[in-house]
Amino acid sequence: MAAAIETKQLTKTYKSRIHGKINVVDSLDLHVEEGEIFGFLGPNGAGKTTTIKMLLSIIYPDAGEGYVLGKEIGDMSVHRLISYVPERPYYYEHMTGLELLKFYASLFGINDQALFVRLLEKVNLHRDMSKTISQYSKGMQQRVGLAQALLNDPKLMFLDEPTGGLDPIAHREIRDLILSFREEGRTVFISSHELSEVELICDRVAIINKGVIARQGKLTDLLRGGRVEVTFEGVTEQWLKDKGMRDSHVRTIAGGVLLDTTEEEDINALIDAARSNSGRIVSIVPRRKRLEDLFIQTVTDAPAAAAKKTITVEESTSV
Amino acid sequence: MFKPIASIAATTVGEAIRRKVLLIILLIGVLFLVVAPGLGMLSARSETTVLRGMMLGIIQLTSAVIAIVLTVYMIPNEIERRTIYTILSKPVQRWQFLVGKYFGAVSALLMMMTLMTSVLVFTFWLQQRDASAIPDLIKAPVMYFVQMSLLAAVAIFFSTFVSPLVNFFLSGGLYLLGSLFAPFFQTLQESQGTPQAAKIFAQLVNTILPNFANYNIQNPIINPGQQIQNESSYYLQVTVYGVLYIAGLLVAGTIVFDRREV
Repeated sequence: MAAAIETKQLTKTYKSRIHGKINVVDSLDLHVEEGEIFGFLGPNGAGKTTTIKMLLSIIYPDAGEGYVLGKEIGDMSVHRLISYVPERPYYYEHMTGLELLKFYASLFGINDQALFVRLLEKVNLHRDMSKTISQYSKGMQQRVGLAQALLNDPKLMFLDEPTGGLDPIAHREIRDLILSFREEGRTVFISSHELSEVELICDRVAIINKGVIARQGKLTDLLRGGRVEVTFEGVTEQWLKDKGMRDSHVRTIAGGVLLDTTEEEDINALIDAARSNSGRIVSIVPRRKRLEDLFIQTVTDAPAAAAKKTITVEESTSV
Repeated sequence: MFKPIASIAATTVGEAIRRKVLLIILLIGVLFLVVAPGLGMLSARSETTVLRGMMLGIIQLTSAVIAIVLTVYMIPNEIERRTIYTILSKPVQRWQFLVGKYFGAVSALLMMMTLMTSVLVFTFWLQQRDASAIPDLIKAPVMYFVQMSLLAAVAIFFSTFVSPLVNFFLSGGLYLLGSLFAPFFQTLQESQGTPQAAKIFAQLVNTILPNFANYNIQNPIINPGQQIQNESSYYLQVTVYGVLYIAGLLVAGTIVFDRREV
């Protein structure tokens, strides 16, 4: 599949009076495929927004290369095919929703009233199109932001913290809209702290820490290797321990013995053995690995120096 | 190419005419224009001379404050509120953004100065009942508009690389320097007895410093005894000077802004 975004050793350095030169983004190798929702994760100050700004040619990299839809960053022609919704966006408050769309459309040379109404309908703002932006709630402002980002029918959308500071209902509305963008064949690049949101909608993610990509890959691969909890009756704790399952914990609980293991493949054989030994299975609960755990583990466990070596799950099975 | 400039300019006007601080400055200016005839009567000099001088002075001062306050925050505000990111992510070049903001500022200035000039004309007519003096009186605000457009270009140039507060003093200082001292440096440059080094310095200052004094044409309007020789030619000449200087400042501003990390 073609790359929507490709960076090679992309670096951005800032000078600080106290710390000297700081690599805000350090030798970034990023690969985003066309048609996917890509989550770009990292703690505050990790370099997420700086990366987006470089890809949009709002700031300039100090080293490395970057390509957006096959064009080198800085090529203005690609701006006709992309769109951007910044973090906590501010739109001209004196304008109505409709006027705002007209303004942004005019920057593309578009003047299509039917399109504006259609987009406002898509983001469920058609009934409020005559209200000024100052009368819009945070969620409505975010939705009008998404509407302006659709004006040029973009192939690639950059969304910086699209659900930041929104209530659960607005969260859901924005999430559904983002999912609809993928169905329309667009590539969506999301920078976010909302890990549960990312886990629900993203195909692939990259975790950036202190300017360095610490992990990158398919969510399904990154989150593979969750735990399974099996509760047995009629077998002893010692019997289970004697089975010698790797990476497992056994303890006696009220109503049975609990086995907590990552070895999903050996579970069936163990269950069969327990049954043939007059045992009974009370419950089997898969505990899927969560993105939050992976994120915290990546950011806190791995020091920046160690994190320099990018772990790409497609290349390595040990996550 | 021009459509984005026009759109950005129109949006800038929309924002400018809603900025409370500008409206308050404008209101104060208009109020002073309305009460000026009353103050003129208190003077010992010819009432008409004082009234004309005072009213034109009010328009010039109010316009200068509006021009500076309007433009010094223009670019920094767009960066702070992140509106610039959404605009620059569209197919808009930075020079188009800068020129659009400038034309928006100048259009807002034009609207505000037109309002003040209308009040000036109406108040003057009410007081003097002499319509024949009005065309001459309007010449000054027209020249002030060119002057303020130049001042706005100075402020927008500085706004590409300094903070609003520093810009306020830089632009204001340059305006005072260019209004009060430009004629002095010109005289120094042209005087026979000036040492060569001083002449070169005066010429350098004269070339770099925008000559705001060119547009201070109130004296011949206030005092009927004075007049500008080749009036039309003079107005054309100083207008062309202003336009060229503005173009130069916008080009320089674009060069700085193009490399600026926003």
